[in-house]
Amino acid sequence: MLTTGPAKKVVVYLMEGEKYHGAPVYIAVLEFLFYRGIADATVTRGVAGFGADHKMHTSRLVDLADRMPIKVEFIESAQKVEEVLPKLAAMIGSGFFEIQDTQIVVASSVAPAAQPVIRREGKAKIMRILIGESDQWNGHPLHEALVESLRANDIAGVTVYRGILGYGAHQHIHKGTALSHDAPILLSVVDSEEKLRAYLPVLDQMVKQGLVALSDVEIIKYTHNAAAEDRRKEPRS
Amino acid sequence: MKLEGKAKMLRIHFSSDDKWQGRPLYEAIVERCRALDLAGASVFQGIEGYGASALIHRPHIFRIAASDAPILVQVIDTEEKIQKLLPVLDSMNFEGVIAISDVEVIRYTQDATDSSR
Repeated sequence: MLTTGPAKKVVVYLMEGEKYHGAPVYIAVLEFLFYRGIADATVTRGVAGFGADHKMHTSRLVDLADRMPIKVEFIESAQKVEEVLPKLAAMIGSGFFEIQDTQIVVASSVAPAAQPVIRREGKAKIMRILIGESDQWNGHPLHEALVESLRANDIAGVTVYRGILGYGAHQHIHKGTALSHDAPILLSVVDSEEKLRAYLPVLDQMVKQGLVALSDVEIIKYTHNAAAEDRRKEPRS
Repeated sequence: MKLEGKAKMLRIHFSSDDKWQGRPLYEAIVERCRALDLAGASVFQGIEGYGASALIHRPHIFRIAASDAPILVQVIDTEEKIQKLLPVLDSMNFEGVIAISDVEVIRYTQDATDSSR
């Protein structure tokens, strides 16, 4: 978020036809800036110009029209500009860039609203439960029953994956096609070791056959918008 | 087969386009795992991803034969058994990532009576 006062303006000069990892270099640069949280960026296409190769590029010559000069401009704080420069320098190929000191007179007034979030970070465990799609528990698909039971036990979160091929303890090959219901199922559960261990007896009586494995993870980010309504309280269809 | 306590998880990432002797590479790998008597292997297909080549893998919208999706093969077994699989994978000579991590097996069962159904 830019504020009024001194800032840096960076202008990157590129060639239209150049690629970076298969994509036009100006799109790659723009996406890089966007995901790095740069306040704004503008791409301008020139109508004529020449660069380091000293060949004239004009839009009048059809065969050279894809070699037009492209300019990507953005304005950011000196610190942010410093952060993106090394990667930017590696991306631009035969292009170049310049940095100017600038002054922000009126800052944009669109500010993202700050939301209160719950955060948990640090050491935790990931539990992987491997079962079959056709496994049942009390007449319901086992993976659905497990998700409900994990939720009832206040486990932080679970994701169910459906595999396309696999085998397990009974050496029977599971092949998951769009129509079959015999795919391997993976439930990936993340929470503290203490909470997962406390849940194991429940798991034990539900999973008759399958594999359960625990490993270490480090939680980098776990946020929940506390202001939003608790979805657990909503009636379930 | 019994498996408990400290074990290893091997994960192999590649593309669903990858072939081994004309067949999908993931099928060939699962077959090798079975031949080596590994405890189990599961294949998952991702929705989108990229790898060493930095080209985005994205399956075709209609899931026709020529689709390029990321594939993950996951194998859990003792370190000793996993080490046996490594030279086999090496000889298959494909492009992709192979990663090993520590896991603790809580449960690995085969229910003979199958009372759950």
